[in-house]
Amino acid sequence: MPSANSELFRLPEAAVGILLILPAILLLLSLTLYPVLYGVWISFFNKHSFFPQQTFIGFDNYISLLRDPEFWASVWRGTVYALSTIALQIILGVAAALLLNEVFPGRNILRGIVIFPYVVPTVVAVIIWKWLLNSQFGLVNYLIEKAGLVDQPISFMGKDWIMVSLIIVSVWQFFPFVVIGVLARLQTIPDELYDAAKVDGGNAWQRFVYVTLPQLKSVLFVIVLLRSIWMFTKFDTPWLMIQGGGAETYIRTLPIYTYMRTFAYYEAGLGSAMAVVMFLALAGAAVLYFRIWRREENL
Amino acid sequence: MNRSSGLLSPRGQVLMFAALALLAFTAFPFAWMASTALKPSREIFVTPPTLWPTHVTLDNLSRLFAETRFLTYFRNSLTVSFATVGLTLLVSVPAAYGLTRFRFHGRETVAGLILFTYMFAPIMIIIPFYVAMRFLGLANTHLGLILAYTAFCLPFSLWLLRTFFQSIPLEIEEAARIDGSRLQAVIHVVLPLALPGVVATGTFTFILAWNDYIFARVLLSADEMKTLPVGIADLYNASVVDWGMIMAAGVLVIAPVAAVFVFIQRFLVAGWGSGGVKG
Repeated sequence: MPSANSELFRLPEAAVGILLILPAILLLLSLTLYPVLYGVWISFFNKHSFFPQQTFIGFDNYISLLRDPEFWASVWRGTVYALSTIALQIILGVAAALLLNEVFPGRNILRGIVIFPYVVPTVVAVIIWKWLLNSQFGLVNYLIEKAGLVDQPISFMGKDWIMVSLIIVSVWQFFPFVVIGVLARLQTIPDELYDAAKVDGGNAWQRFVYVTLPQLKSVLFVIVLLRSIWMFTKFDTPWLMIQGGGAETYIRTLPIYTYMRTFAYYEAGLGSAMAVVMFLALAGAAVLYFRIWRREENL
Repeated sequence: MNRSSGLLSPRGQVLMFAALALLAFTAFPFAWMASTALKPSREIFVTPPTLWPTHVTLDNLSRLFAETRFLTYFRNSLTVSFATVGLTLLVSVPAAYGLTRFRFHGRETVAGLILFTYMFAPIMIIIPFYVAMRFLGLANTHLGLILAYTAFCLPFSLWLLRTFFQSIPLEIEEAARIDGSRLQAVIHVVLPLALPGVVATGTFTFILAWNDYIFARVLLSADEMKTLPVGIADLYNASVVDWGMIMAAGVLVIAPVAAVFVFIQRFLVAGWGSGGVKG
């Protein structure tokens, strides 16, 4: 070992650096970049998910996709799901971070507890809420009935409510991400800014709007970007919510539809085309988002 | 800003009320799961529901062990998660060190490329990944799953470790190299200083591998190969839901996450700042 290593360290600096990085680069290329490019490739084929046969069909997968009403319906459902959960996560996350930035007994413990829903497996988050929202024995139904809000139990997994239930679970699961980011930023805002605002006679709300919010702008920019990418492509939460209910078509978002096309209808080519469309749409939205942001900055 | 509001002041009361509401929203669902897991079957369905079980029982737990393959899933999850952590660190620690300590052409490109992979969600790479794994004969093996998780965790672990290595002053390393070889300096000086970063990265990787559903769902088909998230999802779907047993399973699945979480809580903010969490 020592001799081999002293040999290694006689190499030019740059070569050592590249050697150290090489395994990581090779793994990334073979296990991320290659699958992505291969996915683009098979999106031009009529390809079965299990069997090796494939026929080149050019853009046919993309054309049939754009003509498929269910594709557009799933895009719409996915957009409703993503936008509503992102908005609620941001509102709840910022509010919770502002609270956790204050001084009160038990604050540090609460900081830890709040993050917890974000680190448990999705399947656990989903079964907990399916039990809480159960139409016959669920605690939520018991409480709202007792409070006189409803006459009969709500079927939270039924077609009218499943999207709402999905949004509740998702916000609960993912708002801690916003809390972590915003709280980290809040701790770096200098107190002098608030003192100056107080001298100017600003109330709490004005201080939030004119002092805190501008300081949070850059961290919120990153949070909205990341949460958007992850909510538009979210698979496991809606998929696990669907299980064991009859209302699956009401939360069939684009990632769910992509999965079903590939692993229930065995159309790997079409499924890949959907994944490519998803990526292009997200990349385009990200570019647009950066442009708009930069223009805002200039104003 | 005056933050020393007394507990009994109106402001203090509002704060405490909001804190309790936040506590209830985040923690109560877990408490309810634990409470249900400890109730006998009869008590689970009574109206009005009992907040704390009147007869604490471990029936649900013993049913879980006796009637399902829970322990097999648990072992599979442990194997896959620890192997992923090992492989990810083995590859990303030298790479992150290389990225911060050596100048070479394209270094910044590599760093940018790592961030770019954030655009690829699992659902986008799972189809070609599955086809490729079948072709290589790695479908339905734990090795295939470990490789998938390593690929998925590599970008953020590189990014996270890179920031940790950047924070270690070069002078310390150079001083150590006067007395010995570079390798010795790395082992005795740099790695101990980077240890918190390595631990944090390993923990994030563990949680990601432990929690994943989609890769395990697609790549594994044999029941005895399944990891916990897939195994539990299938238990839930199997027949009439045995709520007590499912909740007991839920408690056991989050126990290791909770243990690890308490351990790394203070790293979380640092990790987030450099893009350490994903999902």
